[in-house]
Amino acid sequence: MDSTCTCGEKHGKTQSNLFLPKEAKIVRVEAPTENERHFTLKLADGSPMEFEPGQILEVGLFGFGEIPLGFASSPTRKNTFDIVIRGVGRVSKALNALKKGDSLFLRGPLGKGFDLSKLRGRDVLIIAGGIGLCPTRSLIQYILDRRSEFKRFILFYGSRDPKQQLFLEDLAEWRKSKDVEYHETVDKGDPSWKGNVGVITRLFGKTNIDPGTRAALCGPPIMFKFVIAELDKLGIPRENVFVDLERRMKCGVGKCGHCQINDKYVCTDGPVFSFAEIQGLEEAV
Amino acid sequence: MSAHFIKESDFKAFVSALIKAKPVYGPTAKRSKFVFSRLESPEQLRLDYDVTLLPPKKLFFPTSQDLVRFDGDKFEACVQPEEKILFGVHFYDVKALDMTDLLFREKNPDWNYLAHRECTTLVASSIQAVAPRAFWGSVGREVQPKGHDAFLTKIQGGFVYEPRTPKGEALLKHGAFGKASDEQVAEARKANDDIKKRCPQELKKPSASIARKVRAAFDDETLWDKLAEDCFSCGSCNTVCPTCYCFDVQDVWNVDQKSGARTRTWDACLTREFAEVSLGAGAHENFRESRGERFRHRIMRKAVYLNEKLGGPACVGCGRCSSACTSDIADPVRVIEQIVKA
Amino acid sequence: MAKPKVAFFDFACCEGCQIEFTNYGEPAFLELIKHVDVVEFREAMSEKTKDPIDIAFIEGSFTREGDRARLEEIRKRAKIVIAYGQCATTAGINALKNHTADYRKEVYGKDAGMPHLDSQKAQPISAVIKVDYNAFGCPVNKVEVLQIVSHLLHGKEPVIPDYPVCVECKRRETICRYEEGDHCMGQTARAGCGAPCPADGIPCEACRGFVSDANQAALKKALIQKAGFSEARAEGKSRMFTANQRGDAK
Repeated sequence: MDSTCTCGEKHGKTQSNLFLPKEAKIVRVEAPTENERHFTLKLADGSPMEFEPGQILEVGLFGFGEIPLGFASSPTRKNTFDIVIRGVGRVSKALNALKKGDSLFLRGPLGKGFDLSKLRGRDVLIIAGGIGLCPTRSLIQYILDRRSEFKRFILFYGSRDPKQQLFLEDLAEWRKSKDVEYHETVDKGDPSWKGNVGVITRLFGKTNIDPGTRAALCGPPIMFKFVIAELDKLGIPRENVFVDLERRMKCGVGKCGHCQINDKYVCTDGPVFSFAEIQGLEEAV
Repeated sequence: MSAHFIKESDFKAFVSALIKAKPVYGPTAKRSKFVFSRLESPEQLRLDYDVTLLPPKKLFFPTSQDLVRFDGDKFEACVQPEEKILFGVHFYDVKALDMTDLLFREKNPDWNYLAHRECTTLVASSIQAVAPRAFWGSVGREVQPKGHDAFLTKIQGGFVYEPRTPKGEALLKHGAFGKASDEQVAEARKANDDIKKRCPQELKKPSASIARKVRAAFDDETLWDKLAEDCFSCGSCNTVCPTCYCFDVQDVWNVDQKSGARTRTWDACLTREFAEVSLGAGAHENFRESRGERFRHRIMRKAVYLNEKLGGPACVGCGRCSSACTSDIADPVRVIEQIVKA
Repeated sequence: MAKPKVAFFDFACCEGCQIEFTNYGEPAFLELIKHVDVVEFREAMSEKTKDPIDIAFIEGSFTREGDRARLEEIRKRAKIVIAYGQCATTAGINALKNHTADYRKEVYGKDAGMPHLDSQKAQPISAVIKVDYNAFGCPVNKVEVLQIVSHLLHGKEPVIPDYPVCVECKRRETICRYEEGDHCMGQTARAGCGAPCPADGIPCEACRGFVSDANQAALKKALIQKAGFSEARAEGKSRMFTANQRGDAK
């Protein structure tokens, strides 16, 4: 959007306004848990959404505001893209009330995703805790879709309890698949749960992991410390550990200041960082 | 570009002509203090001001600014820049504007700021009175003021006007300017050099060594908690700072309940909620929970984090934070002294 | 969609906050009542209702055990309860009496024995029933109330500031009361009013109560060191509107 000034100049001729969103249509809504909604979206103008796994979107509704969210699907799956919203605040609750065919308004893709060039040709270990499975699902799908580009693929997923597990269809598929070594655990089981019980770090005992493995993790802040300690024990260098971080975020374009970790802006310098990059930042983990 | 001179007696007519030509904003009196505001007459212009309550960034980055307006399904951006002259900005505020120019332009240019900035003619002016908490004479010496279109210096009998850009040159036609003599230019230079020695406060060490010492103190929680003991988390130090530019964004409806705006408002990292996120069911996570952590973040931003990008500290020594802090704990000179001592 | 039913109720208060609701001026008020159906509002109408209501604005403090049943009845009928004004949110100025030995004698003199003057400790409405949202202030800020109503009409939780009044003073370039040799409590007072008092040269009395992490020790220090108050006055000063939020709340 150009803005013509009284001086006759069109300021911002080449740049569109950073805060103007694009309209997207909801193609499908699912309710994986009571509090979460899984949306499949399509841009209203029919153009494709080009992004990298790990990048984020500002997702909003006028009158309510915007929230930052990671893509929950891989760019290898064309035409549509997915997001998952946990209804915890003003904006997320309003978004989660939307139905198929409704519109929502997006800005993005924003920020830096997973550096795929550093993962290709390597063993990859993904560690996802809770809702951290959503942004990592983008990378998981990507690897599964281009399986030959990667070597061994291991996935750890931890949830609070069986009811909190997301993407049940995916999980069922991963459990059977030969393309991914899938391990899961819940902090607290229930009578129907036959799998592992305990914190996510327990899964490190289930398999051997080569020190040359590249690790990607996303989950609650408390998870990072313990997982990093395990990865250190395995001898995986910290520059090969990629973390997907979350902070309060307003603008998503490196201006408003809310998401700063020391001198880094999560929205533009991240949200994916190599652990080597942020280990000197006291406010990171 | 050459230097020009205008006699004191012709100056009012010059300012009057500017006001007639375009909106002019300059320092004006507000009881015992000063504020940048739109001039109605040349008498309002107070070039003898020491410092204004808010820095001039408010003209490009208003305290509250609509980013997008919506009405039902329709929405549009709403930058409507106004061509204007900003007259009488001290060099420290010129430095600060140059910093916010860079910060709003880098990576993702933000035209909600830049459009206002681009259609402004910025006339800097010499400092005639020194604010009680100023330390611009010693902070960030390595950073030169730039980005202004002209510099006006009060000397004996009138003003030396030095344009730096065609925009600055274009204002000459509004006044009875003559060529400034070499002596007048030298007098102006001396006035601007001399005033820098008159600040009541001074940073004793160069920026790089301060940055190293402050960064090294990061983990000294006792120190930061002590420094922030009397902090009200009121964000006054942020709000009056010429290099602070954080903001919050909120959507509001108009009373018709279908139209409204997405609006940004100045925010402050010293306030409690700045880095807080909701986790649902009334639970929250605050990434800077304590006063000490928030206090530290501000000092790091001013003395360390942005130095590489800006070529020096993100502090220009205006002393506004020192004056605005009711507990009088925000003064960067004293804070840095205590950190260096610790 | 039917218009949400709105009703006003009052307990121990001056009803000034309800009067604020009638002060919008015609265009805004007429626009607003296109969107809400005011079913009970004794400041402006005589009708009363026993029907369910969508939004109940409750003004005033809980000071008499006898009011409990009426409050519970309102809660049962209302989808959303808003504590409306400072007497309702924190018991505001009413809570001052919690700190006096014999308020009746002090206030009513020879009439102190009249039975209808009997009341107990002043408490916020939330001491008796669940309150969904607070509209702070003595009186409420009508612009904020309009925003609260707008938000609720759209099913959105209202945004209530939890930062000090200083933020608003600085934004509007108000000269600090301390700079002019006066005192102020804006450093610990909840903003949202737009800081009109200091702009008119009047110190902030914290009529919207304290922010949630008010640095009370630093406030006392500022009142003593910068405003020259005695220790006792510095202590008592901040009690006016925040008696129930201080460390020594009864």
